[in-house]
Amino acid sequence: MWDRVRNWLDVRIGINDLVEEEVRAYRVPKNINIFYTLGVVTIAGYLIQVITGILLLIYYVPHPDHAFQSVQGIMNKVPFGWLFRQMHVMGSNLLIGVVFAHMLTVFLMGNYKRPRELTWIVGALLLFVSVAFGFSGYLLPWTQLSYWATTVATAIPTAVPYMGDLVANVLRGGESVTGATLSRFFAFHISILPPIFLMLLGLHLFLTKRIGISGTPFGLSAEEKRPWTEYHKKNHPDGYPYYPRFFQKDLFMVMVYLAVMFFLITFAPNLFFPGDATMPADPYRTPASIRPEWYLLAPYQMLKIIPNKFLGVIIQVALFVLFLFWPFFDTEKEKNIMKRPFLRGMFLAAFALWVILMFWGRS
Amino acid sequence: MKRRSFLQLLLSALGITTLASLLYPLVRYLVPPGTAEKARTLVIAKRDIPLGYAKEIVFNDVPAVVVNRPGKGLIALSRVCTHLGCLVHYDKENRQLLCPCHAGTFDLDGHVISGPPPKPLPVLPLRVDGENIVIG
Ligand code: FES
Repeated sequence: MWDRVRNWLDVRIGINDLVEEEVRAYRVPKNINIFYTLGVVTIAGYLIQVITGILLLIYYVPHPDHAFQSVQGIMNKVPFGWLFRQMHVMGSNLLIGVVFAHMLTVFLMGNYKRPRELTWIVGALLLFVSVAFGFSGYLLPWTQLSYWATTVATAIPTAVPYMGDLVANVLRGGESVTGATLSRFFAFHISILPPIFLMLLGLHLFLTKRIGISGTPFGLSAEEKRPWTEYHKKNHPDGYPYYPRFFQKDLFMVMVYLAVMFFLITFAPNLFFPGDATMPADPYRTPASIRPEWYLLAPYQMLKIIPNKFLGVIIQVALFVLFLFWPFFDTEKEKNIMKRPFLRGMFLAAFALWVILMFWGRS
Repeated sequence: MKRRSFLQLLLSALGITTLASLLYPLVRYLVPPGTAEKARTLVIAKRDIPLGYAKEIVFNDVPAVVVNRPGKGLIALSRVCTHLGCLVHYDKENRQLLCPCHAGTFDLDGHVISGPPPKPLPVLPLRVDGENIVIG
């Protein structure tokens, strides 16, 4: 039966050749490490978000009078509603963690360097889109926490003279966070961001495939030494076939992701639901402690401690541009960070600063 | 002008016209429409706010507070913190307005005492009419 189907497909679309070329003959470098799986884990994580997100849509009502109730209904009444909501919430946080880890390891291995500058930029944009997903999804349950965190975050653009108020108004659909904001964020979360994400992801994968996997995490290889005058795909004729060898590693890491997710859902179900996340939004009472999700804590705390709001926003925009176009700022040929004490020091300092700001913002 | 460049020119003109005719409505569509004319005044009874106390109100959709300041009389202030939009509340002990978000403090005239808020709280028009307080 299977052979007949396969044959049928082969006659029409040449599936055997395709599998041979793309899967069996596709080779990955020998010195590849476990961190190379993080891209695939991210895609798997996103897939879970899509599926659980669609399931949540069946019961969720994006209206200020019903949003909170409908989410409570999903959690308490709908059979297994809690599971899909938990998977969505836990997944969103884990996913951003994995995207961070993916970028961090690519950075440490110097794989953003020529010829992969574009891959890095698109990847950084994907991180940005992931955070935008998280941020827009945060408001949807219409809790005290989500309402006030969104109030604060959407007020940030007002620091910019002239355009700021307009930007904030467009974001919120009015002077303050209201039902109009909920509609906007909902539309953004479920129908504007997904196509943008898919386009960027397609481009990211295309670039990865077209340029070839970087097999040189450490040290300078022939790839870096050759003069850059023409396109040259990086192949690894002496590498391992992707399938089954590396595919298994990918699968293993996806299972690690799932295991962590279900472990947390079972043993730490309230990890991302502090007290104010279980109270319905009250536009006339600001709760005592409001804070964004952990991945926005560091920028949030930074804005808090810089006395001039405008300056704070400018610094953050500058940092984002630096991050986005990092491959063009770092023109040094040496990829191995162990041989670059200055970069290493800078990295450690930035990382430490991030962690400090994050914990500071939490308290 | 050659036939070909004329056609090219025409094509770009058409393209720009179409693009502009779509972009303009799009931008207008995304900018929220102005809200309708609001209720002009709000009346509360004077005896509701004894000396040293405050009452939270909502005036034209803006959360506000009316404070009966000892020695200085009544004042109506917006509760929307000028930093990032959290709502300040009246601290009776210290005769201050406190913002819970980043610990901004304001005095009872609305001026910033400490913390990150860049501007004083907006003062709403208020007058006393017999036994009533009229805001707006
Ligand atoms: S919003 Fe009031 S101090 Fe920041």
